[in-house]
Amino acid sequence: MIPQNHFLILGAVLFAMGLYGALTRRTAIGILMSIELILNAANINLITFNKFIGSEALGQVFALFVMAIAAASAVIGLVLVIAVYRNMKTIFTEKMNILKW
Amino acid sequence: MMNGLIRQLSDIVNNYGLPQDFVVQASFYVIAGLACVFAFGVVAMRNIFHCAVSLALCLFCVAGVYLFLNAEFLAIAQVLIYVGAIVTLFIFAIMLTANIEDRSIRQANRQALVSAVVAAAILSFFIFIIIGAPWKASDAAVATGPGLENLGRALMSVYALPFEFISLILLAALVGAIVIGKAGRR
Repeated sequence: MIPQNHFLILGAVLFAMGLYGALTRRTAIGILMSIELILNAANINLITFNKFIGSEALGQVFALFVMAIAAASAVIGLVLVIAVYRNMKTIFTEKMNILKW
Repeated sequence: MMNGLIRQLSDIVNNYGLPQDFVVQASFYVIAGLACVFAFGVVAMRNIFHCAVSLALCLFCVAGVYLFLNAEFLAIAQVLIYVGAIVTLFIFAIMLTANIEDRSIRQANRQALVSAVVAAAILSFFIFIIIGAPWKASDAAVATGPGLENLGRALMSVYALPFEFISLILLAALVGAIVIGKAGRR
């Protein structure tokens, strides 16, 4: 069967991809997509450890919570993007600097 | 020990004379590889609408990986919540903000090279740790995971309070999204 390491490496690869995207994307929507990738990598790790260690369902419960929090954060983030776009006519993050002095 | 869907799939293939373990392993590596390819598409493609479609496919492949981890409920929830709701939201947001689909617009900022080096360094560090660590893991052939019944029991007994807090957070996010997104508030 498939060993534990391979699931963990898949999670690490998805995390690295999401980190690269979150650091390099210019649009706020692209950054939010990369953050969803990072949250999925965390979920893979939680469920993997839940399968291989212990019989309690703690890891799957927390993966479910992570999914709910990810949905809430995506909703709020995209609404903020749309609100900023309505006011400033841009979604590029380097233009969103009105909170700086 | 395999879960229901994967077992049925491998039973079907078994009738054609292929070894069961080989089919399960091969399908896992194919799905995991596809997830990595689509994840790379999310962070590397120029057209942001294509990125959203690639994100949907990547999350679908991750749902397939959950099946190999004996987490059927989470696989279904992943397809419903992520592919059904969140990616749809992303596509709506892309359509509501004008002219960012254009290929001529640069999607990456000037720190792409540094970010790639940092991400590759962190990835290699993680893989080094994962391969070298003496995991206190049970045998892969007998690890079954908690199962659906334990998950439902845990959600409704021990973790009932956090479960209710999650619904409170979702309600707050809903109200906040309506308030922030309301038009013509000048």
